[in-house]
Formats: sequence, C-alpha cells, structure tokens
Amino acid sequence: MSLRVDLIEGFRIAVKSLRNYRVRTALTTVGIGIGVATLLAILGITQGLDTSFEKQLASLGSSSVYVSKHPWVQMGNWWEFRNRKRIDLAQVEAVRNQCTLCEAVAPILDEQEDVYFMDQQLAAVEIDGTTGDYLAVSGFETVRGRFLTETDNESRRAVAVIGADVVDTFFKDSDPIGATIRLGTKPFTVVGTLSRKGKILDQSQDLCVIIPFGTFQGYFKGRQSIDIGIKVKSPEELEQAEDQLVGILRRVRQTPPDKPDDFAINKPEQLASTYQQLTGALYGVALGIGFITLLVGGIGIMNIMLVSVRERTREIGVRRALGARKRTIIAQFMLEATVVSAVGGALGTVVGLGGAKVISLVSPLAATVKPLTIVFGVGFAALVGLVFGIWPAARAANLDPVEALRQE
Amino acid sequence: MLIELTDIRREYQVGTEVVHALDGVSLGIARGEWVAIVGQSGSGKTTMMNVIGCLDTPTGGRYVLNGKDVSRMNDDELADIRNKEIGFVFQNFQLLPRETSLANVELPLVYRGLSAKERREKAIAALKKVKLDNRMMHKPTELSGGQRQRVAIARALASEPSLLLADEPTGNLDSATGEEIIRLFEELHGLGHTIVLVTHEPRLAARCPRAVRLSDGKVIGDGPGQDVAWQDRAQPSAHPAEAPVAS
Ligand SMILES: Nc1ncnc2c1ncn2[C@@H]1O[C@H](COP(=O)(O)OP(=O)(O)OP(=O)(O)O)[C@@H](O)[C@H]1O
Ligand SMILES: [Mg+2]
Repeated sequence: MSLRVDLIEGFRIAVKSLRNYRVRTALTTVGIGIGVATLLAILGITQGLDTSFEKQLASLGSSSVYVSKHPWVQMGNWWEFRNRKRIDLAQVEAVRNQCTLCEAVAPILDEQEDVYFMDQQLAAVEIDGTTGDYLAVSGFETVRGRFLTETDNESRRAVAVIGADVVDTFFKDSDPIGATIRLGTKPFTVVGTLSRKGKILDQSQDLCVIIPFGTFQGYFKGRQSIDIGIKVKSPEELEQAEDQLVGILRRVRQTPPDKPDDFAINKPEQLASTYQQLTGALYGVALGIGFITLLVGGIGIMNIMLVSVRERTREIGVRRALGARKRTIIAQFMLEATVVSAVGGALGTVVGLGGAKVISLVSPLAATVKPLTIVFGVGFAALVGLVFGIWPAARAANLDPVEALRQE
Repeated sequence: MLIELTDIRREYQVGTEVVHALDGVSLGIARGEWVAIVGQSGSGKTTMMNVIGCLDTPTGGRYVLNGKDVSRMNDDELADIRNKEIGFVFQNFQLLPRETSLANVELPLVYRGLSAKERREKAIAALKKVKLDNRMMHKPTELSGGQRQRVAIARALASEPSLLLADEPTGNLDSATGEEIIRLFEELHGLGHTIVLVTHEPRLAARCPRAVRLSDGKVIGDGPGQDVAWQDRAQPSAHPAEAPVAS
C-alpha cells in the first residue's frame, strides 16, 4: 500500500475516531489550545510593544544627546550622583563655544506646574526653560506663531510656546496665539504652538509649555543643575561628538584625571537598550510559560493517545490481521494526534487573538499579531501532536497481532 | 498443494521452561479442501491457525503457502500475504464496533489500496454471498450473533483469498445459528473455497471431509472427518483398540 493511501486512510480514521470520542477530543484540544492561546497572546502583546516603542524612539531624534548630572537609567551610587557638581551656564557656554561637532546647544531646566487658561486647568504640565536652539535639539516644529528667540531670553519675557496636548485642551475653539495662560500664578502670553510628538512608554511628550531660559530662572528655582540638549551635526559622528563633549566637560568641571566622569551623556539609544533588556527578559519568561503550557498539552495528548492505543488494542489487532502494515498503523495514530493538536491550535489561535485584542482595548498595550504568528501557532500545535504522537503510535504498531487479538 | 507445513515448530519461553506449542508439525492441504483441526484445549490448534494465517511466525520449520516460502518473510511481506491470500474468521467475530457492516467488509480492501468504488462493489458482492446485503448499514451492535458471524465471513471472503481460516466459528453461537454458519461453509466449500476450520465440536468436525487431530503440538490423527472427530472419546476408554486409527 502506498504512502498516499496510508495518509488518506489514516486521516479518515483519525477524523472518525475524533468524532467517536468527543469528550476526550475536546479535553485534549482545550489543553493544547490553552498553550497556543497563551503563546499567541504573549507574542501579540510583545510585538505590539515593540512596534509602538520603535515609533516612539524615532520621535526622540537619533542625532541628539542630553548632558545631565545623572544618567537617565540610574545604575550606581545614588549618593555619588547627588553630590556631583551641578551643571551651570558657564559649562553650557563652554560646550557651545568649543564643541565643533555640535550643531545646536540648548540649556534646559524643567519643572512640573499646573497650567490654567480662563477657568480651565491642566495639572502637572512639563515646563521647560530653554533657548531657541531647543527646537533643533528636540525635533519639535512650530505649527503656529513662532518659537523662542534670543531677545525673549535676554529680556526674560513672559512668553510661552505650548505643546499639542495643551492646545487641544485649552484652545478647541479659540486662537492660542496672543492668549494669556498662567503657569501657577504667573501669566504668560502664548506666542507659538508645537507639532505633536506622541508618547514614549505611555508618557505624552506633548503636555508641555516651553518658556525662555532666563524667564524660567527668574520665576522658578534657579539653582537646579542644567541639562544640556545637544544636536550633533551628523548622526555618523555621534561618537566623536560624545568624546569631544566628555573632554570639554571634564576640563570645565575640573574633573580630576583619575576620577570617572561626574556627569552623564544620555542618549535615546540607552532607553532603547534598557527597554530591550527589560522586554527581552519578559519575552523570554512569557515564551517559556507558553512553551511549558504547550509541553503540558503535548504530554496530555501523549497520555490520551496511549489510553486510546490500549483501548483499541483489539482494533489494531484486527487491522494488522487484515493486512495493515506497521507504518499504516503509525500513520493512523500520528495523524490522529496531529489532527487533535491542530484543531486545538486553531481554537487556541482564535482565543489567543481575541485575548490580545481585549488586552489592547482595556490596557494601553497595543497588541498586533503578524499573520505569520497565526501560521506558527497552528503549525506548532500540529508539530507538538506529531512529536508526542510518535511514541503511542510506535507502541500501537509494535503490538503483536496475535496478542492484540486475544485482548478482551 | 496450497499449504505445505514441514516440521513446523512454535516454542514459547515461559520463565526457564520452553513450551512447545507446535512440536514438529508436517501437513499438506490441497486447494479446494475443507479441513477441520481438532484437539484438546492447549493442544496447539490456535497456534497452528495463526501460523497458517501468517499472523505468527514459527520458530522452526518451513511453511510454503501458494508456492511462496513465508517462514522467512519480514513483517511487511507477511502483512501483504495476510491481506491478499488469507481470509480470517475469528471466534469472537472481531468486527470494528463503530463501523457499519459494509465498512467492516471493506476493511481488507482498504489495505489492498483499492478505489472506494471497487471496494464497495466487492464488499457488496461478499455480503450478498452470506445473504446479508439487506443489513449493510447496520453496526455490529445492531446485528444478531449469527448475522455478525456472517459479516465476519463476508469480510474474509471480500478479498477473494486463496484460503479461508476459521477459529471456532460456531463457538459463540447457539446450535441453530451454528448450523446456519456450517451450512454457509458447506456452500462455500461447494463453490471451491479452501477452508481450514478449528473446532472443538466433534459433530462439526465429523461433517468435514478431512480432519486433523493435534495433541501436545503434534499431529496424532489425519483422515476423514467422521473417523478423526471422535478419536479422543475412544482414547480414555478401556478399549483403545476400538478407536479409529489415524491414516
Ligand atoms: N503467548 C504464549 N506464551 C506462552 N505459551 C503459550 C502462548 N500462547 C500459547 N501458548 C501455549 O501453547 C500451547 C498451545 O496453545 P493454543 O492456544 O494453540 O491451544 P489451543 O489448541 O488453541 O487451545 P484451546 O482449545 O483452549 O483454544 C498451550 O499450552 C499454551 O499454553
Ligand atoms: Mg484456541
């Protein structure tokens, strides 16, 4: 008998016995289905995280670095960070004058403050005090009006450029340009609005008000350490620019040669790698759980198939006596295991995709499932069935027909 | 000769002991013969049947079926021989309980690789032979014992085998139904089928043209059914001389 006949006949018998043993089939299917569902939901969520995070990172600009007292991702001695010398305007000036690879250098001070317009309020808005160079560093664009100028800075004007979220909240049906908003108690005149950048790790970058650096120093605590936002001339020279910055800063800060840098050069890439470490571990653990669930499902299938072989020993004996070869019996039982698993995989796929969808609706996590993942889910389930069907099928085929027929 | 058994041995190792289920059996059966195999329980009848049917491989001797030496064939070849040359009728029917009569009869034809249409035609023809073509779509549980045995016989006939083997075909049936089955075998014999039939009923063996008696794995009697059938009744008697002597 040909392999083709083995497969066709095996498939027919498999489908038939699945129908004959419905409860058993359902239970096995559920077992494998849960595995696939878990795996798919996990894959969906992590894939969703990845895609949205990639977009978010792009919004930070890849040719900008930020010099601060602390690294963004704090690893090390908190006390040491705290006791570092603050970054002051003289250091900013040194960078501006000496960094030949830098295109734009902007001092940045920030504060959170409630913002008011007429009778409306926005709580905990990011207030940045900076200069005109910030536009180039940050990657924002002015949508309406203008950005800050050197005169704004020098004259400490009470003017503000507002982020897209602020525009959306306060100026749905009125013109923001020329309007007066209050930062805390202090009135500011809106002179421009910013383009939308979107969120990073669920934190909006558009809930901000930008005011002149000098004004900020006059109005808020002036003795904070300043962050220096820097846009390098070309992204390819980022590393050389960093080296140059380190040299300039160590010199102007008089860092002793035998001491490590007492400042940090922060890059969006750092966030990315931290994020990837984080999600990588999460991904690994989640995948592990999914695989274990599938393994359990596979062992369930093996168990059911062994029971099935024992129950149908006589049937196997009859088939062998009537001329079925060993490999025909193997094909029959392996197909049975594979079909159960694939059906489970298909059900699990539906449930898993549904789960990912629900999660993306009720939580900020965006779940996207690539079509390939679905193929992977069903295919992997079938593979699990195939693998875990081997042993029971081999046992069935190796039964001695005489003994098998003698079974009660 | 359709069947040629030469010094066939089948030994089982049970612990340290060796059981000789068949202890040097030599026998020839011609095409078209109807032979009964009789003997006491444990004498080796079923073992012999399994060897003849290529279900069991002898541990010694030579078995030639239809001109082919089967005693040295591998598992796949034996499966094919069973499929093409042998029609089994088992003592307890051995039908697949969840399949219809028709599907049961088609089973050996499936393993022969016939098309669905051919299978159906041949299976229906076989069911007609046992006069059960009006019960094709019934499952075994919906049939009487005699009907089930007729389905089993139809299944054995469907593949048009050289040899029909029946192990205690009336063992599970009442005497009237048993008679019905024996009539069917007589009919099949009349049509030219070669039949080997295991039975412990002397009355059935007596109706066979030829009977072979086994004892402790050896052939101790071979002759016309009437002669061999009652042989064992005479043996324990006080007058051994009265017992018909095997030819
Ligand atoms: N698998 C086995 N292992 C060990 N011994 C066996 C095995 N099968 C059969 N035998 C032995 O072989 C001998 C012949 O057995 P067999 O089944 O052929 O007898 P039988 O003539 O068919 O008996 P019955 O009329 O009771 O069916 C017996 O002594 C039995 O114990
Ligand atoms: Mg027996």
